[in-house]
Amino acid sequence: MEEVWEKSQTVDPEVRAYVYSLVNAVGGSSTYDDTYQVGDDAYAALQDILRWLRLYDEKLNRFDVKRCLAEANLVQGDLLEILALWPEEAQNHTLKSKLALACLQLLVPLTWPPELEDDKTTVNHHRHLPYLQLAQVGYKRAVLHYEHAKILRTAVRIGLPSMVQPRRERSNRDEGIVKLVLYLFRNMAMITQPQMLPAQGDENEVSRSATIDAFSEQDVFTLLLTVGSGANDEFQDQDVILLEILFHLLKGVDAKKLFMEQQQMQHEETNELRTLMQKEKAMHKSYNRHAPSRHNRFGSMLWVKREDQKMSTVTGQASIVDGDATLLQMDHSKRWNKPKYRGKQTAQTSEQADFGEKVELDESARKHLRSFVEDFLDSGFNPLFSSLRKAIERETDRVGEVHKRQYFYLINWFLAAENARHSEAPTENVSQDNTFAYVAAVLDQETFVLLNRHMQRSLDEKSWVDLQATLLAFTQILLTVQTMAKSKDEDDQEIAENIQNRIFYEEATHDRIVQILRGYTNQGLAYLDAVTECVHVFVRMLERYSKQNADLHIRSKRRARRKSKKSQTGAAPSNTDENDPENEAAEEDDEREAHTTVSERKFDFARFSAKFLSQTCVNTFFALLHFHADLTPDQLKRCHRYFYRLAFKHDLVLLLFRIDILLLLHRMIKGPGGLSPEVEGFKEWEQLVQQVFRRCVKWTEKPTGDGTAWREMCVVEMLFSKVPNTIYYLQNGYERVVERR
Amino acid sequence: TTAPPADPDAEIKIRKKRAPALKLDETLLLSPAGIPKLRSYARSSTHLKFKGKGHEFSDMGRLLNMYQLWLDDMYPKAKFRDGLAMVEKVGHGKRMAVTRRAWMEGSKPGRGEE
Repeated sequence: MEEVWEKSQTVDPEVRAYVYSLVNAVGGSSTYDDTYQVGDDAYAALQDILRWLRLYDEKLNRFDVKRCLAEANLVQGDLLEILALWPEEAQNHTLKSKLALACLQLLVPLTWPPELEDDKTTVNHHRHLPYLQLAQVGYKRAVLHYEHAKILRTAVRIGLPSMVQPRRERSNRDEGIVKLVLYLFRNMAMITQPQMLPAQGDENEVSRSATIDAFSEQDVFTLLLTVGSGANDEFQDQDVILLEILFHLLKGVDAKKLFMEQQQMQHEETNELRTLMQKEKAMHKSYNRHAPSRHNRFGSMLWVKREDQKMSTVTGQASIVDGDATLLQMDHSKRWNKPKYRGKQTAQTSEQADFGEKVELDESARKHLRSFVEDFLDSGFNPLFSSLRKAIERETDRVGEVHKRQYFYLINWFLAAENARHSEAPTENVSQDNTFAYVAAVLDQETFVLLNRHMQRSLDEKSWVDLQATLLAFTQILLTVQTMAKSKDEDDQEIAENIQNRIFYEEATHDRIVQILRGYTNQGLAYLDAVTECVHVFVRMLERYSKQNADLHIRSKRRARRKSKKSQTGAAPSNTDENDPENEAAEEDDEREAHTTVSERKFDFARFSAKFLSQTCVNTFFALLHFHADLTPDQLKRCHRYFYRLAFKHDLVLLLFRIDILLLLHRMIKGPGGLSPEVEGFKEWEQLVQQVFRRCVKWTEKPTGDGTAWREMCVVEMLFSKVPNTIYYLQNGYERVVERR
Repeated sequence: TTAPPADPDAEIKIRKKRAPALKLDETLLLSPAGIPKLRSYARSSTHLKFKGKGHEFSDMGRLLNMYQLWLDDMYPKAKFRDGLAMVEKVGHGKRMAVTRRAWMEGSKPGRGEE
């Protein structure tokens, strides 16, 4: 055996020997009954193991000790057994509680998700990482489903004495223990089966549903509620950890589904299945239309006569009768592909930080989570989120970059949940109490300022995931305000009015949204979805709002060219103290201010919405439409509305006269691989596309100019994006007449 | 290690230089096989014939096929969609912009054929 260890140089044999001997000293199972016997010096051994972790692994930046502990089966074999030995009746047993705390102290670093920073990773990390990730999945499974005792509940019990202390009287040690307990729950929520590694076939035992069930049964949720409702005063320093726990529990869960009744839920799921089967059927149908009717070696071949005596050959019988199929076949047989963009953005984000993926819950987990979320909204939401906002604003040490993202994502999630709950039970608590008060903490001016600032910053820094989170939050806030405005309560209406005023008052916000829409390049479907939804909601709301309030004013920045004047007037004093840096800085500020002054002007919806209808914006929506096979009816509808507005309300159908766009539209309706005729909204799409095509044909046949010059130009222009200053001419066939005075 | 003496009578193999790969750029687009050909399609009445109302989809299908065959003649390597994207990109260039502008001027009434 020893030789094997020495040959495989995964870990230094001496380190392994030390660690193993320590693990052996902790204790062991009895041979004749299944009881566990704690070793004589178990506490010291546990402390020593902890010391090994700190002084070897952390100091040398390696994973060796963790690996040895995973191989030695410390967690399942010893730690959980010891925790189980501390029964509820013996809450005050000093030695046992001391041992339990020591176990917890080991459990947390062992389950801590490994974070690798690019510049600090070594070969050693890459060697051990897959093994450790799988080991952590094993730990999670063992903790959640340990049969002899409730491990999570034991953890709660370890934390309780410290939590009971008022915050002022809590010692550092107590704070540390509370943190330790919460971090254990965070780790439990965070660990998932890594997609790239082989599974042991029992992912269900570590799935989100299993986690939620265990949290609910073992009273973790109750603890979280306590911490959440005390986030303002008692548990200020723990708010960020709680944020992380919530994020990892809730990400990807559909808030709307969570609040459905079981029957409704089943109905919904049947519907989903039906649409999926429809999609599949349509796919088969479109395949069958072009599928060969005979065996694959039938070997028909045909040629296509083209001009200049050219011939192309195509094989397959489908091509014989169908001209379009022939051309399709010619296209498919080409083997060269345009090189794809391979940049930073296509790199996978880490699995655990990703929130684009959907998670399904089973029935019991759904019920548990639902009651937790309801309780949380009622008690913990406002304290937690106002405390978090303050922490983020103050740039406290405990807030990292990730947390801001999680903060905005959770705003989005909880608002959606509150919305779902609100619409689910309209008869129960209507007008009795103000339900919007439960989420008031994220609807105040301070949050908007933070949101706006963060959105601008992540746009500037091109950190798309952050931007996506802020967009989601912004969209959801808009939707909430919208339902608030519809509420029967007059106070609600007034508040909603105020908020809307505030949102729409700043033109900078409008411009930023436009900029984001135009800036789409390669960020992927989830980002695209967030951007287009935000634009959709934003534009529609502004439209409605500007109709209601005719005299709406917005604050816009104007450029004022007063620089030259400034420099003339400022010339005299600047001679006297030229080298004074303070003065220079002040002058710079003056200059900047001279360039942008703020003025108010009347809001003009037409002008505003025209900003969203440039060619680059159209391209973004088309990027979404390229995924049409995967889109939900809602997303398709969003696209439809946008193009409808573009083509018929603003008369910019010209922007769609581009061959690649026309090709996509044609494929969507006529296939292959198009929308299924049974899908919701197909009729509208068909009509829209038909109208666009009709206008396109009309456009090319416009009777202007002499001979065929107009047509020739149309044929060329259809290849390219249109240049803005020629659009008017292309639409009308004559230049805009500008009156000169 | 000494190299064999060069035989003065040995035939010198002349390797044929490969023609450089065709590039989809402004030069190609403005060459006879490029846009000028497309314009000639538009002039002739056989290529661009629309049936009008009620036949929108078939009309558009024919138009798309015309473009596909044109692109295949000009730049056989690329698939239709890829090719279109590449052509579109070339259109942002300065030279293309000037030429497009000129064509547009040419289509104005009274200045058509000179």
